[in-house]
Amino acid sequence: MTRLSAGDHEYVALVQAHADGRTRVMVDGTAFDLEVARLSPGSFAWRRSDERTDVLHCVREGRIVHLSWRGATYKIEEREEGASTHARAAHGGLEAPMPGTVIAVRVVVGQRVEKGAEVLVVEAMKMENALRAPREGVVKAIFVKEGDSVAPGVVLVELD
Amino acid sequence: MRKVLIANRGEIAVRVARTCRALGIATVAVYSEADVTARHVFAADEALPIGPAEASRSYLDIDAIVAAARRSGADAIHPGYGFLSQNGDFAEAVATAGLIFVGPPAAVHRSMGDKSAARRLMASAGVPVLPGYDGADQGDEVLASEAARIGWPVMIKPSRGGGGKGMRVVARPEDFASALAASRREARGAFGDDAMVLERFVSRPRHVEVQVLADAAGNVLHLFERECSIQRRHQKVVEETPSPALTDDQRRRLCVAGVAAARAAAYVNAGTVEFLLDADGSFHFLEMNTRLQVEHPVTEAVTGLDIVRLQLEIAAGRALPLVQEDVVARGHALECRLYAEDPDNDDLPSPGRVLHLVAPEGPGVRFDSGIAVGSEVTAHYDPLLAKVVTWGSDRAEAAARMRRALEDTVLLGVTTNRERLREIVGHPAFLRGELHTGFLDEHFATDPGPRSLPPEALGAALAALSLEPVSRSRPSESNVDPWSTVGPWRLA
Repeated sequence: MTRLSAGDHEYVALVQAHADGRTRVMVDGTAFDLEVARLSPGSFAWRRSDERTDVLHCVREGRIVHLSWRGATYKIEEREEGASTHARAAHGGLEAPMPGTVIAVRVVVGQRVEKGAEVLVVEAMKMENALRAPREGVVKAIFVKEGDSVAPGVVLVELD
Repeated sequence: MRKVLIANRGEIAVRVARTCRALGIATVAVYSEADVTARHVFAADEALPIGPAEASRSYLDIDAIVAAARRSGADAIHPGYGFLSQNGDFAEAVATAGLIFVGPPAAVHRSMGDKSAARRLMASAGVPVLPGYDGADQGDEVLASEAARIGWPVMIKPSRGGGGKGMRVVARPEDFASALAASRREARGAFGDDAMVLERFVSRPRHVEVQVLADAAGNVLHLFERECSIQRRHQKVVEETPSPALTDDQRRRLCVAGVAAARAAAYVNAGTVEFLLDADGSFHFLEMNTRLQVEHPVTEAVTGLDIVRLQLEIAAGRALPLVQEDVVARGHALECRLYAEDPDNDDLPSPGRVLHLVAPEGPGVRFDSGIAVGSEVTAHYDPLLAKVVTWGSDRAEAAARMRRALEDTVLLGVTTNRERLREIVGHPAFLRGELHTGFLDEHFATDPGPRSLPPEALGAALAALSLEPVSRSRPSESNVDPWSTVGPWRLA
């Protein structure tokens, strides 16, 4: 989840997954399945659902995303992570943000993990995604096994 | 002429190098410490450093530039515009070094650089000048009584000035003394000279100018006029040719006056005679620019001539390869200056690094730029980044092509006036040709506020960025898994 601002408007956005050449992006609670292809560094083709096409140009510079779209230029600023995420970090778990299937469990209970270590692999929208440890710790509990379907918000692994 | 040193930077250095290459003439670029990797450095066949970033110690350093020309074996120097292009001492130093100066001789720069001398010369040649005072007696009392004779409002201009510094409009006699004192102070600081010229103030004038060419044998011809009324802080923003304000008869008279001015100045090479055009159709001499103009490409677009090529031929001592009857203007051309400045923030310069650049293409479009992806735009130099020039069979077509070309121009990383330019060329008053030098203040005084970005387009941008290889990020971020910044999983 990322908080962004462009002009005088604030957004909460989350790039969820890639599948079928599409990318699912949540913006302010609305999901968009977007067909975006990279043409060259910084230049992208965007095919809309009604076959209309657009070209986007965007480049990241630190926390600023520079965007040119339909003849206008925008500066999108990434804000700090939202407060809700920090609250959950204290809770010590690892959650699924969207529906998927667990295809690999890389840790066992009692194992010490480094920050960034791969903990689980979950398939969603036909993409495999690694869930990594947000910090160093000891695996206290694992609530899922391979093949389990998981719902958003469900705690999958708990770290000490 | 076998090798030309280009004593400039940015788009004009790149543009001059292109013509030289087409003519088989070798080129030498010069660069300051701030410009080691600038685009103009690689547009030439060889490049020499001339000093630190400050222009006064590099691009304005006559000795350093002449030494670079000697060291590289160049036999000519093209000064471009700005910097030393109208400096009589530079033209003289180049000639003294036995090199060809691509421009008029030192004496022409000096006489045209003195506004009172230029005014007197033009008046004596029958070129219309505004009612005014250009005398040598500069006593405060004399100037006050001359101002009263000319009539209010009156314009005070430093005789050796430029760029609007020290210029003041005085509407009431009781304000004259303090305005004169302020102008004198500013002129002393900026130009080291506080002599003033007085002229009748023209309200809402149009700025028109005549492009002239003259060879050493005394042949003089014109390449018609340009109108440059869209200005901010005395800097041109949008230019065009022909002027939508002139009738054929007015155009003929204006161009004849331009040629007369060039003859009176004993002009050699390409130059521009600037006039103020009043609402009643009368025009008066403003000043002569003794160099190539920024906006010369619009003239090239309608005449099909390469003005830099003609400059080089004249400088090499050849006679003009054409006569007046050969010069035919076809269609209409517009130029928009893309500046690194923020129109929503008082046109403040906006330095930065060019992260992405897409040049416009297509029928009737020319893009002259001095930047590339990775270029650092610094506060040391003029904020002009590039010029978008469009040609059309008529003004409406040139304007439509300009709007399209500006929409297709992409420059990320540096705030520019691109969207403001597009608004100008789409403005109803612009399309009706109702231009004057206060156009921007009249029509664009208020800030439209930030444009809103539809959520779906924001989503598309984020989706696009998630497709970029991580190596495009800055080094400090390159180890960060993109999934963890805009990733699929919320990490608790």
